Amino acid sequence: MPTLDLVLMIAAMVAILVPTAAMLVWFERRLLGFFQQRYGPNRVGYFGILQSLADLIKILFKHDWIPPFADRPVFVLAPLIGALAVLMSFAVVPMSPNLMVSDSNIGLLFFLAMTSMAVYSVVLAGWASNNKYALLGGMRAAAQTISYEVFMGVSLLGVVILSGSFKLSDIVLAQQNMWYVIPQFLGFVIFMIAGIAESHRLPFDLPEAETELTAGFHTEYSGIKFALFFLGEYLGMMLISMMITTVFLGGWLGPWLPPIVWFLLKTLSLICFFVLLRAALPRPRFDQLLELGWKWILPLALLNLVATAFVKLWGDF
Amino acid sequence: MEQALVELWPILLYFAFTLVLLGGVMLVSTILGPRTRGHSTHLPYESGILPLGNARVKFANHFFLYAIFFVIFDLETLFLFAWAISFEQVGVTGFIEALVFILILLIALVYLWRIGALNIRKRHLPEQN
Amino acid sequence: MNSLGLFYVSASIALLASFCVITQKNAVHALLYLIVSLLALALCFYLLGAPFAAALQIIVYAGAIMVLFVFAVMMFNINQQDIERESQWLSWQSWLGPSLLVTVLLVEVLFILQSQPAWTSTESQVTLIDAKAVGSLLFGPYLLAVEIASFLLLAGLVGGYHLAKALPHKPVNKEVNQP
Repeated sequence: MPTLDLVLMIAAMVAILVPTAAMLVWFERRLLGFFQQRYGPNRVGYFGILQSLADLIKILFKHDWIPPFADRPVFVLAPLIGALAVLMSFAVVPMSPNLMVSDSNIGLLFFLAMTSMAVYSVVLAGWASNNKYALLGGMRAAAQTISYEVFMGVSLLGVVILSGSFKLSDIVLAQQNMWYVIPQFLGFVIFMIAGIAESHRLPFDLPEAETELTAGFHTEYSGIKFALFFLGEYLGMMLISMMITTVFLGGWLGPWLPPIVWFLLKTLSLICFFVLLRAALPRPRFDQLLELGWKWILPLALLNLVATAFVKLWGDF
Repeated sequence: MEQALVELWPILLYFAFTLVLLGGVMLVSTILGPRTRGHSTHLPYESGILPLGNARVKFANHFFLYAIFFVIFDLETLFLFAWAISFEQVGVTGFIEALVFILILLIALVYLWRIGALNIRKRHLPEQN
Repeated sequence: MNSLGLFYVSASIALLASFCVITQKNAVHALLYLIVSLLALALCFYLLGAPFAAALQIIVYAGAIMVLFVFAVMMFNINQQDIERESQWLSWQSWLGPSLLVTVLLVEVLFILQSQPAWTSTESQVTLIDAKAVGSLLFGPYLLAVEIASFLLLAGLVGGYHLAKALPHKPVNKEVNQP
């Protein structure tokens, strides 16, 4: 049965995650400004730190417009599904030995299952908008997300073999001698690429490519519903960083500092890296993205799996 | 069994919390927001061009093929997950079996590659005579 | 609330959602209910002591196969016309007969279940089967079944592609604007 401190912890978790994702919007804009030798938002509060709050207040007072030509229930549901699916995945992420919602025995599978739910948000948004750009964007997003979901699953298999568990805290503890980024470097790279593609981050933001599809699946969305999509995207980036940290970079492990600090430091540096990718890389063409995935990443991920199994059976690390 | 419940309760509770939070935010915005009505507020946005026809069109959906590939390879991944988690128990026999399993699916992938099923661009070029 | 209560809640959600699937006139709405039903079933599996099966249920059924369905429905272009046609199909004359007969069957099944004393005991023992046990069974005694499954997947992949691919000399785009 739920106890009071569990309820409090969950409430705290939700209350921290969502504002942090909002802060990330400001952080990314500042960082992009830094990379591009300009300021970025710096007017609201010190260093512009309250920019996201200002945005939120503005968005709350916008017309909550549902297009008359759209499919109302699905149109409203789509952004909710997107944000929910991403938020649910955080339930199994172990931030420190005792700060996690549920240390599930099937944590890794739970993460994959919730990621697979996120597809519906983009597909349904594209369909319900009843707009040609939105429909095409939704289709693209779905094709991209489901393709890279497969590679994401396969890239994690090597880690499962090495640690022998789906439990994320077990996976972290199994990395006490060596982070899995070293024996599983290929898996790490593939997981990162798949993660960027899953969360539609630049350079893989083809479903939202402005030059081709205006805003893709959320062309007709405005106000708070658009904000939920936006939130989902930034939460997705946080989630992928946290998962990489947990699975490949030793999670909360590290000397001297408290576990949670290590975890957040690793996550933050990964987020900075993702922002750098956004600033540095051009967008590929859509067919290039899919062909790269199916022709190269999938065989490579399978190769990584077989090699890991081989070494685990007959070699010693 | 109790162990399973211990893991499940927090997740259900967490789900309820997030649902209430997100639903609440959407509701607040619906209440607070104004109702604007311009002469083209209710038109689909198509970059300034008036929409022609609606979006319920049939189109040759090459993405559908990717959905098929996805379902098959997703199933394959799950078999492999079952193997990976019991790697210690099944040992060399399991390894050889998984190897055969992967090889069969790789043959399928190579076949699809060779007949051009994985290329999406070429099918959309105008036909060459 | 214990696991039994949770089980009944999720089972009722599954039943209710499945009922909505067949009564919904819009195919996409029906699919949404189907997804809910499958998620509720996953919860049932979990509560029956099969966490691995529950995760697979979500990833495969709710996450993969339903995506295929949604794609297909979008390709088939559901418009108001189809919805109206669908609503004509669901007249009471067409479903009354079969559902009466099925109700008789249901009563029969309930009767049989009632006569089995072992199945009606209040709380049967639930044993937890974790993923490791499933894996070592699949890749141990049921080795052949897994290989046959891989052949099935191979056939599905090749067959699916050849059935779904566009025909080379007749672009489907031609019939876009026909009513």
